[in-house]
Amino acid sequence: MPDRVNKAEITCTVNGETLSLKAYPMARLLDVLRQELRLTGTKEGCGEGECGACSVWIDGEIANSCLVPVLQVAGSEIKTIEGIATGEQLHAVQEAFISCGGAQCGICTPGMVMAAVNLLERTPHPSETEIRMGLAGNLCRCTGYMKIFEAVVRACQATGVKA
Amino acid sequence: MTMPASRVARPSTIEEAVRLLADNGPEAVIIAGGTDVVPNLQMKLFAPRVLVDIKPIRVLQGITIAAAGALRLGALTTLTEIVGSPLLQASYPVLVSAAATIAGPLQRNMGTLGGNLCLETRCLWYNQSHFWRKALGGCLKKDGDVCHVAPGGKRCWAAWSGDSAPALLTLDAEVEITGPRGRRRLPLAQFYLNDGMNRIALGRDELVTSVYLPARTAGRRGIYHKLRIRDSIDYPLAGVAVTLEVDRSGVCREARVAITAVNPAPLLVKEASEWLVGQRYSAELVDRVAHAAIRTGKPLTTSASTPVYRREMVRLFARRALEEAWKNGNA
Repeated sequence: MPDRVNKAEITCTVNGETLSLKAYPMARLLDVLRQELRLTGTKEGCGEGECGACSVWIDGEIANSCLVPVLQVAGSEIKTIEGIATGEQLHAVQEAFISCGGAQCGICTPGMVMAAVNLLERTPHPSETEIRMGLAGNLCRCTGYMKIFEAVVRACQATGVKA
Repeated sequence: MTMPASRVARPSTIEEAVRLLADNGPEAVIIAGGTDVVPNLQMKLFAPRVLVDIKPIRVLQGITIAAAGALRLGALTTLTEIVGSPLLQASYPVLVSAAATIAGPLQRNMGTLGGNLCLETRCLWYNQSHFWRKALGGCLKKDGDVCHVAPGGKRCWAAWSGDSAPALLTLDAEVEITGPRGRRRLPLAQFYLNDGMNRIALGRDELVTSVYLPARTAGRRGIYHKLRIRDSIDYPLAGVAVTLEVDRSGVCREARVAITAVNPAPLLVKEASEWLVGQRYSAELVDRVAHAAIRTGKPLTTSASTPVYRREMVRLFARRALEEAWKNGNA
């Protein structure tokens, strides 16, 4: 049997704010975000690292927060869906998801937005293939993906999509 | 899903990690990217007292030039780094081709090369929830004494389900392992034991620290083809990696074919190198090698896809990969 394990003190940055929190080392980052920090925008889908609903950024890389024991993010910079808008001003990707109907039930949406914004920060002028590849780790059971894809195209329309 | 309430140790040096592994023996499990080990922990396939998180060990990161023109890939090199490396794309394209097919972009951001070489073997009867497995009374590999794939047998057929290993086999890669007695290097082909239960030649107190790609295989044409249910994310159900060295007149000078996901180990197709070297491209020759590839593979009902289909896909992929590498250079 595993030993009795105490909570550990973990310092990390979440959406720009440096936090010190107490959590069991093997608690999933997903649960700490949702339950301890009340950042419930991040959703749990499959809980085994397949669907991408729980996508967050860890040190700038998009990752499944259900696969990360929280102790592994000690010293890291986390960004969640709550950190994407600027105050009341939605991000261009969020605006595009609304205007293109890129969300239905909404469970995959935060993860999709995290993936899309991450893609556009790395590749401001993505090709259609790059958009599809950028969203490949995020599954949606409602939309059939086309409206999500169109939303990402619209979000980068100011700069244009490569053929 | 819940994880066991293990202690997590975060060593910052290889020596410290090895000491933790040696001190805790079978009670320790290594974690790096976590993409394979975390779901396995959640399924209660193992319940370690301590998880040794090797991610803080900086010397395990990155791609560097080593002695004799070899390329050293640290065990913590992420799969995303491999896919995006212009150096690897230019010199060892088969590895980039394979790494690009591993899981999806999120898993590649987290998953490491060392982890991909040490994946747990996979089987329909093993990678299931605790509840599911308990209802069946377990299997040979975990909590039971019957193999549901080959009842009556005493061998575990859980499939090796990695994509980078077959590519590295076709590059004559070596793996560096560090333990309490220091470092050792062995050809990757000897690292895999072809036993679903005891899959790799890695002691409980040892750690994969690097992978070395020799200078002599740099520049070889190569490609990897993979069968999976969902093209954006899944483990392989069958896979074939090919590298070729073809001279200006179209004659093959060196050849390697490796297969994956159809045995408990990734395996080189021995006949391929023998039969291809000194030859020009012909459809018949390629068919013969493809047939040798399916004879090397022994897919059983370890996945939801049928063994017959996986076998035939090995044949198709071997044929296609050889043709592409021979005719088009790097795909």
